[in-house]
Amino acid sequence: MTNQATTLPESFRELEPYVADWALPTRQERYDMRLSKTIDELGEFYDAIAPRAEEAIGYLNELDLNDLPDDATRLLHLLYSMVLVSYPVNVFKQPRIPDSGAAFFDTVAEPSV
Amino acid sequence: MTGIQERLATGKGKFTPLYPELGTGPVSYEDSISQEFFEAERDAVFRRSWLKVGRVEQVPRTGSYFTRDLPGLGSIVVVRQADGSVAAFHNVCAHRGNKVVWQEHPGEETKGFCREFSCKYHGWRYGLDGRVTHVTNEEQFFGLDKSALGMPRVHCDTWAGFIFVNFARDAEPLSGFLGDRMLELESYPFGEMTQHFGYKTRIKGNWKLSIDAVLEWYHPPYVHGRFIDPDVSKAEKLVPPVDAYHYDIFEPHMLTSVPGPPPLPPREPGALGPARRDQKWVYRLFRAGLFGPDDVPDVGPLPAALNKGRINSWGNDSFWLFPNFSFQIWARNFYITYQYWPESLDSHTYELDIYFPPPRNAQERLAQELVADSTIEFAMQDSNTVEATHSALATRANGKFHLSDQELLIRNFHKVIRDAVAAHQSSGER
Ligand code: FES
Ligand SMILES: [Fe+2]
Repeated sequence: MTNQATTLPESFRELEPYVADWALPTRQERYDMRLSKTIDELGEFYDAIAPRAEEAIGYLNELDLNDLPDDATRLLHLLYSMVLVSYPVNVFKQPRIPDSGAAFFDTVAEPSV
Repeated sequence: MTGIQERLATGKGKFTPLYPELGTGPVSYEDSISQEFFEAERDAVFRRSWLKVGRVEQVPRTGSYFTRDLPGLGSIVVVRQADGSVAAFHNVCAHRGNKVVWQEHPGEETKGFCREFSCKYHGWRYGLDGRVTHVTNEEQFFGLDKSALGMPRVHCDTWAGFIFVNFARDAEPLSGFLGDRMLELESYPFGEMTQHFGYKTRIKGNWKLSIDAVLEWYHPPYVHGRFIDPDVSKAEKLVPPVDAYHYDIFEPHMLTSVPGPPPLPPREPGALGPARRDQKWVYRLFRAGLFGPDDVPDVGPLPAALNKGRINSWGNDSFWLFPNFSFQIWARNFYITYQYWPESLDSHTYELDIYFPPPRNAQERLAQELVADSTIEFAMQDSNTVEATHSALATRANGKFHLSDQELLIRNFHKVIRDAVAAHQSSGER
């Protein structure tokens, strides 16, 4: 692991273990990942990224949102995933929204970035 | 009363008695569980009302088009004309009735850009005005008057960038249907809000029950209790008092205005504190919450027609357009639309679309992500309640139901639908 190249901006390399599962470009993929995990796994990801999130936002704010390099785009996608797991971890205590039964929304439009 | 309740209470009396035609008695839900009513409603309401089918941003230039497959009404093509107007046609070929515009899956909607439409069956072609421009082996036909052939037109007009169609043979003008109260909102900068998040689902329940679920502010501590406080007795104390809202009815449309918290001031460096498993910390981190982003973008002057009820700490205005469409304008400069398309008595699709001004940086983009995600998490809870309500109503074990003052828009909504059906039936039109 130590010599492995990071696919994130250098100062966020400690989040590399989460890239494969959570640096996903679409809401559908992120939501599918959320439902495939246990609440403990969601909590683990949240606990890893939350302490770095303010810094990550600051880093990304310095860049042009419409012209982000790939490593910054991955970091942004990790933050989208943090948003998506925040409700299960902090509010629902389960991956799925309570009492939502089979209800599920398909995403039909989302911003390209 | 709790702090929030003291701050927002107005001492206003009840609203329902201001609309004596609504009455205050128990109501029947037969209009949501009767097959006969459902079929009458399709004729009386959906085949002769202006229905929103899209936004002008979806057809940016001449030849941009999209199709809509509207359950029970048919497939239509909506296309930008050379003169800048938007037109709609039944998606039906004049030759042998094939669906003209589709890709890969005939049952799915599509969109694109073209100079002409061509039918996949025998290659007849249509101009953007829907008229036939080419008939394959034309000389093989018998007395064909090509100039009279085309995809049949559907009435189509736009207002405030929303595209509406009307399937009636003779349709009243869109502006007359909207009425003065709605027309006042024309100058709202909908067109600036191009950052679009769109969602769609299917719900097993009558479409009107889905609308009921968002017409009142009585259910949140129960349906959405966990968002507010997992302890229901605490959640009940954290919602605004019943007299903090504003309702207005301008038949057949209506409005509800809702209070909301003011945006958080800019955060001092170091003020966020260490990461916590606490959603309030997440809201502060991303600078957004259930009522929108905390950094409110400047979108220029807003029409005076917003928050006309002058409620304190205004959160949003939800305008309900007869029969199946709502746009909700938020104090924090974004808007959400809701639309419900009946498929059968006990099934409908539900489309929820959120529009923000384009974000200027990652912080603003993430705030939008949080608002969009929270909105959908809420909406899923509302949707499931609808399935539970429909299945229970359909038993007809009980036939009489009770609406409180907070539920006056539900009273009105069912009344305007029932009135439209009754008027259509008594006119004897088919
Ligand atoms: S049905 Fe369209 S060309 Fe024959
Ligand atoms: Fe709700």
